[in-house]
Amino acid sequence: MLNLIGNYSLILALITSFIILILTFKNFKSKSILNLSIFATISVQFFLICVSFITLLLAFINSDFSNLAVYNNSHTAKPLFYKISGTWGNHEGSLLLWLFVLSLFIVIFFFKSKKLLDSFRILTIFFQQLIILGFLLFIIFTSNPFQLIIPTPIEGLGLNPILQDPALAIHPPILYLGYVGSSIIFSSSLAALVCNYTNKDWANDLKKWTLISWIFLTIGILLGSIWAYYELGWGGFWFWDPVENVSLMPWFCLSALLHCTSVLEKRSNLQSWTVILALSTFILSMSGTFLVRSGILNSVHTFANDPERGIFVLIFLTVLIFIALIIYFKFNNIEKFSKSYLLSKETAIVINNWFMMYFLAVVLIGTVYPIFLEAITTEKISVGPPYFNQLIIPFLIPFLLIMSIGPKLDWIKNKKLEIKIIKIVLFFISILISYLIAKNFNTQVLYSTLLISSAIYLFFISIIDLKNKSLKISQKISHLSFSILIISIILNSLFSEEVSVNLKKGEEKKLSNYLLKFENISRSQIDNFTSLKAEIHVIQSDQKLKFFPELRLYKVPETITSEADIKTNLFSDNLVVVNYLKNTDYLNIRYQKKPFMLFIWLSAFMLAVGGFLGLRKNFK
Amino acid sequence: MYGKKVKLRFLFLSLILIVLILTTYLVLKSLEDNVVYFISPSDIKELGEINYNKKYRVGGMVKKNSVSMSTDQVNFVITDFKNEIKVKFSGVIPNLFAEDKGVVAEGFLQDRNFLNALKILAKHDENYIPPEVKEALEEK
Amino acid sequence: MKVKFSFIFILLIIIFTLIIFLKSLFENKNYIPKKINIIENISIKEFHSGNDLKLKQLFGNEKFIIINIWSSWCIPCRQEHKHIKNISEIANIKMIGLNYKDKKDNAQKFLDELGNPYDTILIDSNGTKSIFLGAYGVPETFIIGRDLSILKKYIGPINLENEIEIKKFIK
Repeated sequence: MLNLIGNYSLILALITSFIILILTFKNFKSKSILNLSIFATISVQFFLICVSFITLLLAFINSDFSNLAVYNNSHTAKPLFYKISGTWGNHEGSLLLWLFVLSLFIVIFFFKSKKLLDSFRILTIFFQQLIILGFLLFIIFTSNPFQLIIPTPIEGLGLNPILQDPALAIHPPILYLGYVGSSIIFSSSLAALVCNYTNKDWANDLKKWTLISWIFLTIGILLGSIWAYYELGWGGFWFWDPVENVSLMPWFCLSALLHCTSVLEKRSNLQSWTVILALSTFILSMSGTFLVRSGILNSVHTFANDPERGIFVLIFLTVLIFIALIIYFKFNNIEKFSKSYLLSKETAIVINNWFMMYFLAVVLIGTVYPIFLEAITTEKISVGPPYFNQLIIPFLIPFLLIMSIGPKLDWIKNKKLEIKIIKIVLFFISILISYLIAKNFNTQVLYSTLLISSAIYLFFISIIDLKNKSLKISQKISHLSFSILIISIILNSLFSEEVSVNLKKGEEKKLSNYLLKFENISRSQIDNFTSLKAEIHVIQSDQKLKFFPELRLYKVPETITSEADIKTNLFSDNLVVVNYLKNTDYLNIRYQKKPFMLFIWLSAFMLAVGGFLGLRKNFK
Repeated sequence: MYGKKVKLRFLFLSLILIVLILTTYLVLKSLEDNVVYFISPSDIKELGEINYNKKYRVGGMVKKNSVSMSTDQVNFVITDFKNEIKVKFSGVIPNLFAEDKGVVAEGFLQDRNFLNALKILAKHDENYIPPEVKEALEEK
Repeated sequence: MKVKFSFIFILLIIIFTLIIFLKSLFENKNYIPKKINIIENISIKEFHSGNDLKLKQLFGNEKFIIINIWSSWCIPCRQEHKHIKNISEIANIKMIGLNYKDKKDNAQKFLDELGNPYDTILIDSNGTKSIFLGAYGVPETFIIGRDLSILKKYIGPINLENEIEIKKFIK
């Protein structure tokens, strides 16, 4: 019954989608205003999509196994929280969530854009509706979440314990909010191009949407790495895995766009470039999702999928790209530069954009190069993390330095280049501190010194700027958090220590400065898994730490997960993970010391908070 | 000869060009250094020349009864049911590593029969078989 | 002119990219292997006597046994029952019934009403034993080889098509 309601509301939503397209098109042609009938159909569509989303949610909560998606992805033994998160944890449900957010954003756009040009608003709704139509067709024809199975099975299949993690449960929807936010940016830029509306008002509106998607994307990426850190137990938080890269690329684009819109807003410059960035953000988000979902990218996170769906997304993507290309080249008649000087805020922002594009290009090439190579030569390769590190980290040095100078420059032309003694002193202090830190590592002293000092310098400058009244609070907080983030990441990678050893019960082994002791192991049966809890002692000089890492053996599906025992301090995390090998008495034990983890999480979160403050100010 | 403006413009353009070429070179160089090739044990036998300074990823199944452990290392054999290679590894073993299951080991080749692995990879997915192993299995 | 050139240039790059994506979409199909699944030699209670039987003890001279998971409350089990019967009539096969989360009286009634095709009936009163087979519910049917490997697995009721397939497989 519920399934039918969900299914029919989807089909009705498809019909309203056509109606909206026709209405908006007609209205745009006749130059009439954005009238109530459009709003009414949008609301009806939003309501219908809400209904179908809620029915799916209910099906998951009630464990209604007559629904194929529920049968495949849920289980009665799952806690309620994971039943709910199971709704979007699978392919069909996640698409429905996309759709839901798409139509939610169209409604928000309607209310928040009342001050803007009517023809622009109509067109934005038109383009956004095109995207919704594409998604509706995709859902209804290739991945309907309301497929029935007869007879009704009494138990579901989905009990994958690795996916039962709070961070992973809320990570995808937040990431999607970021992706979907960029869809409004996409439609609004197309509409602005057609209406020749790429002016300050538009930039101001675009900035809000850019901020919204940027905030969600930032938090989404953060949650993704928190999940990887705690659940995978590899002790890292970023692996340059294709799935991670795919979410990072739109982030670079959005960050560039964020800075670039303020140039457009204040100085009516860089219109073309803003539009290109806006269009590519959404295209990158979509292609990224396509690459991951279709299983083309080989990643630890991908799950099986069939090519039919891939083709549909590919066609959809092609259509969108072609529409964007044609509109861009047909209506792009903006090029008019207002004069600005080399030493100005504009230049600083353009440089920021170039750096962002460079980072984007590096990640893009590293991610898709294996796909191209395999398609052309059938050679299978993977690109290792050193590639990314080598190409990105050195460029952070000039990037950070410019970031510390840029914000205080004036628009158009900087009148006087103030050089305060305190800044020079700070510059040398940061070099000194960095040298002291880097000295402990014989390799690459110069390189590390430069890197750390640029980050510390940015940190000092941002602290001083906190008092500066002429800067926006959002920008101050975000830049400060970014500097802390970079410092923590660098220090984390420099000071991380790791030892691993295979031990039998009762054995001990000394490795570098650490003595690892496998004291005891206990077995107990909990709910649906068997728990093996080991007691490991790590002794360093006179300090003794006791760890209780756990192994969980699940029967359905047959899976082993390691639960690391992580001891978090303000300045460092200590963790022990164990793995076991079938048919041996050995336990593979790994002890890791990870400094500044807490700072990484907090500063990344503060980065997003900075964005949020900016959003609040913009909406006032 | 030329006006100051033209000169400046020319300078600017050539600067951009140089930066562009330089970065392209950097990217390509770094890509070349850090690419890891996927091969199967059979591929190793057929390789014309082995680059001992390059990392390889060898994919296959862990041969039954081939795993032996000591305190600081694991030894096992990767097989694609035609050829096999011995692997030595010290470090963290993923949960899904087991005999008779798919595995990918990344490291340096010592000779055609021995891989010194730096990393062992396994997927979340219990049904995962490295694609190249699947191909080998299907050929059988 | 300049605009046209860049348009065509971008267009070509995009088309090239899309073709590559399309190609890899088909090339790199998902690798779901045929997993060789071996069940543990667990012991399960026998229906009538209540004795524990090890799975290996179920084998006589046959190459395979068939385990059918059923329950009296399961309606699809009634549908498939005649096919199970037909299969069980083949000489060189042992049909094992695994009674899933059921009451003994009801199960007996079910057999009295529809006939008993099983050579041996085992009890899984709380659903824990069928987990070892990797079963998710009722009905499910497994063909198991002498080494306790699962050779074939049917989720849901057996229909005529499956019956023919199973018969072919056994012969």
